[in-house]
Amino acid sequence: MSTLKLLLTIAFRNLHASFVNVIIGGIIFFGTLLVLVGGAVLNSMDAAMSKSIIGSVAGHIQVYSSRSKDELAIYGQMGGEADVEAIQDFSQVKKLLEQVPNVKKVVPMGINGALVAGGNTIDLTLADLRDRVNRRREGDQSPELEQQIQSLKNHVRHMVTLLQRDQKNLAALSTSRAQDPENTEAVEKALTDAFWADFDQHPLDGLEFLENRIAPQATDADLLYIRYVGTNLDDFQQAFDRMEVVDGQAVPAGKRGFLFSKQFYEEGLKVKVARRLDVMKEKIDVNHATIKRSEELQRNVKENQSQTREILYQLDELKTARMVDQLQKALGTQEEDPPKLLALLLDTNDENFHQRYQLFYDAVAPLLQLYRVRIGDTLTIQAFTRSGYIQSVNVKVYGTYQFKGLEKAALAGDLNLMDLMSFRDLYGYLSPEKAEEIKKLKAQSGAAMIDRDKAEDALFGGGGGDARAVVAQATPGVIDESKELEGGAGQLRRQDLISRVYSRDEVENGVVLNAAVLLKDPNKLGATIQEINQRAQSSGVALKAVSWQQAAGFLGQLVLFMKAVLYVGVIILFVVVLLIINNAMMMATMQRVREIGTMRAIGAQGSLVLWMVLLETVVLALVFGAAAVLVGSSLVLWMGSAGIPAASPYLYFFFSGPRLFPTLSGWTIVAAAGLVSVVSMVSTLYPAIIATRVSPVTAMQTDE
Amino acid sequence: MASIVSIVNVVKEYDLGKVKVPALRGVSLEVGAGEFIAVAGPSGSGKTTLLNLIGCVDTATSGVVKVDGHDTSQLSEWQLTDLRLHVIGFIFQSFNLVSVLSVYQNVEFPLLLQRNHTAGERRQRVTQLLEQVGLHTHASHRPNELSGGQRQRVAVARALVTRPKLVLADEPTANLDSQTGATIIDLMKELNQKEGTTFIFSTHDAKVMSHANAVVKLADGAIQARESLVPGAAA
Repeated sequence: MSTLKLLLTIAFRNLHASFVNVIIGGIIFFGTLLVLVGGAVLNSMDAAMSKSIIGSVAGHIQVYSSRSKDELAIYGQMGGEADVEAIQDFSQVKKLLEQVPNVKKVVPMGINGALVAGGNTIDLTLADLRDRVNRRREGDQSPELEQQIQSLKNHVRHMVTLLQRDQKNLAALSTSRAQDPENTEAVEKALTDAFWADFDQHPLDGLEFLENRIAPQATDADLLYIRYVGTNLDDFQQAFDRMEVVDGQAVPAGKRGFLFSKQFYEEGLKVKVARRLDVMKEKIDVNHATIKRSEELQRNVKENQSQTREILYQLDELKTARMVDQLQKALGTQEEDPPKLLALLLDTNDENFHQRYQLFYDAVAPLLQLYRVRIGDTLTIQAFTRSGYIQSVNVKVYGTYQFKGLEKAALAGDLNLMDLMSFRDLYGYLSPEKAEEIKKLKAQSGAAMIDRDKAEDALFGGGGGDARAVVAQATPGVIDESKELEGGAGQLRRQDLISRVYSRDEVENGVVLNAAVLLKDPNKLGATIQEINQRAQSSGVALKAVSWQQAAGFLGQLVLFMKAVLYVGVIILFVVVLLIINNAMMMATMQRVREIGTMRAIGAQGSLVLWMVLLETVVLALVFGAAAVLVGSSLVLWMGSAGIPAASPYLYFFFSGPRLFPTLSGWTIVAAAGLVSVVSMVSTLYPAIIATRVSPVTAMQTDE
Repeated sequence: MASIVSIVNVVKEYDLGKVKVPALRGVSLEVGAGEFIAVAGPSGSGKTTLLNLIGCVDTATSGVVKVDGHDTSQLSEWQLTDLRLHVIGFIFQSFNLVSVLSVYQNVEFPLLLQRNHTAGERRQRVTQLLEQVGLHTHASHRPNELSGGQRQRVAVARALVTRPKLVLADEPTANLDSQTGATIIDLMKELNQKEGTTFIFSTHDAKVMSHANAVVKLADGAIQARESLVPGAAA
């Protein structure tokens, strides 16, 4: 006991006796601090992210067909969507899953992506105009209609003027050859009074000219890639209770419908200038960025000033005049040119930003359609089906939704919601109506099932007959729309699919790609996955259950990867620490050879020397480790109350909200302190053994 | 007079790679209990080697070294250490105190190693010895706060605290001025007479030698003479 006390005394006194010990202490301190703080932050991030993933789409477990080529990746994978084999009958799967005691809820899903063509503003306006012109042809003579037609005509003419101005600007920048003279001529023609006088006589010819020759020249349309989850929307809402509808309303039970993710709606569908102003405002208000210092904000200002065409196209002459009038007054300028006036408005700096922001929303925004798709609009989505042809589906947009706490999380905001029926149509699986329709079409067109072996003969005739005749017969049946619209199939198509209410059976007896499973006790995740897989196997259903981490695909791997990076980093750090401590202790031992030799000479056994050296490191680790635990814990506690702000929308997802609040668990402390102690002990072992080999003879040696 | 050290025909060779350097070439020596012996000779004559063999920190190449009746060649490393702890006290040329420990702790150290003393016993012995060497007022000082002579006194106290039968001192005065050296020798002598402890010390200083009651003269690894001196004759 008193020997231990003496060794402790030596150890403590040696702490500050040697500079080497201070360095080792420092390394131990920072090592412990890193493991403690890093571990706490990463653990909290892990917890937050699992909350994000589990609470948004994944659930605890995802099931999908075990015959799938790829592994399920609900957040997509490199190069698009995972190739997942469809589950033909969801109700069967649901029944199987609901037999598992720990399963709370099963939500059917299908995830896919599609392109949505926005259509440029001229196209949209022309479509409006064509609609009105058709109504007049059908006999509507009301003065309002006439007024609307007149206003739309003016708007189109106004847009052509803008187009011409753009072309002139472009001509000044490029060689004349770069522009197709036919395009220039078309624009000139569309601006003549003669053209518009003729338009009233032959509106359909005029529209055709505008649609084919003018509209393609305006390049403000873009294609949007949207990812969507087809699901049973009621079940989805119940299962993921962080989901809330922001604009509009939830899709009524059993109906077809579409909900945009709020984030996607803002990011992808809002007028770019408005969106940019919103983002800038948030950066300035929340992140305290200034235009003066932030290059990004300066670029935003420039983009806003130069990219006003999207706004200008939307405004007809009347609205343009109103905007010019309001802006002139508000900005106190005589500028009459709308683009220059907008550029002036959007020339924002730190002093006037909030005032200009308000002005934009007061004077310009009310004149615009701020979002390319409005709540209540019908959205046409085109997607490649599994068999490769393009399928398009019209769905009504009921509103936007978001997950509480993940409002700005880019990854959670990536997925839009759609009913299962529309999803199946887009995925290329036949709804009962479609199957019926195709059957009727086949009958009308005279198409017949042909055996594969006989297909060649049937198409080209036995032994080189006239092929063209066969093809010619087959073609009209497919493309003749008037015929298609006859009979029951046509009626089905005309029947408003949008207002149809589907029963639960209809929704559930059909194809899905995967399903989210929510558990009563999430801690039994692994056991439940096993149970599901076993049940599927024994009942012969080709089903595979995976944890939410696996289902998150590259994202799950990303977190794994991040953890791996941290662990590898910690390991490298500790190898370095090990080497440094080892070296330093060797040096320290060498410096103390005389002292150790003396101790050995006056009767200290080797074991005592071993313990003396080891104990010194232990004391070092304890003192500096404890200091690090103290500092680290208070740091984590402080971060836990203040929160670490998420710098980018991607981090929102990992933080499960705008801020991460790390928590400290006893285990983290034990792990950090334990790890550091073990590492320092191990690194001291060799020097300690060397120390025991110091011969007592060294004590006799003289300094000279 | 029973002999505490008995050396018979001891040869010690140092292995320097291929060459074997002889340090002692057949030395025989008997030291009786209570003697105060000086080992004298020029540098390289084998003084330190001889003390190392007697002190059980080194073993002979051939011949027999018996310390307190134990043949050192027959003892394990652990047993040798134990022998050093209980039978021998050491005084070094460079004092060799543990720099981070206080005077008191340095003196107490061997008692702690022996493990068989109560705290009170240790306190009593350490205090007594510090009084004997005249450093009881410096008990809480660190070695670097003391002069060379004071440090060597601490070393003396440390060597004697276990009440060893034999104290070995390798050039105990070499790092001290002659006056201080003389007081250290006087102190050793006093303890030799009071406690009956055997002292063997090496030196090449004739003045120091004169305090001994016998001088063993070494040259080239062999004993040239063993002279008995009349106590106090040289003073």
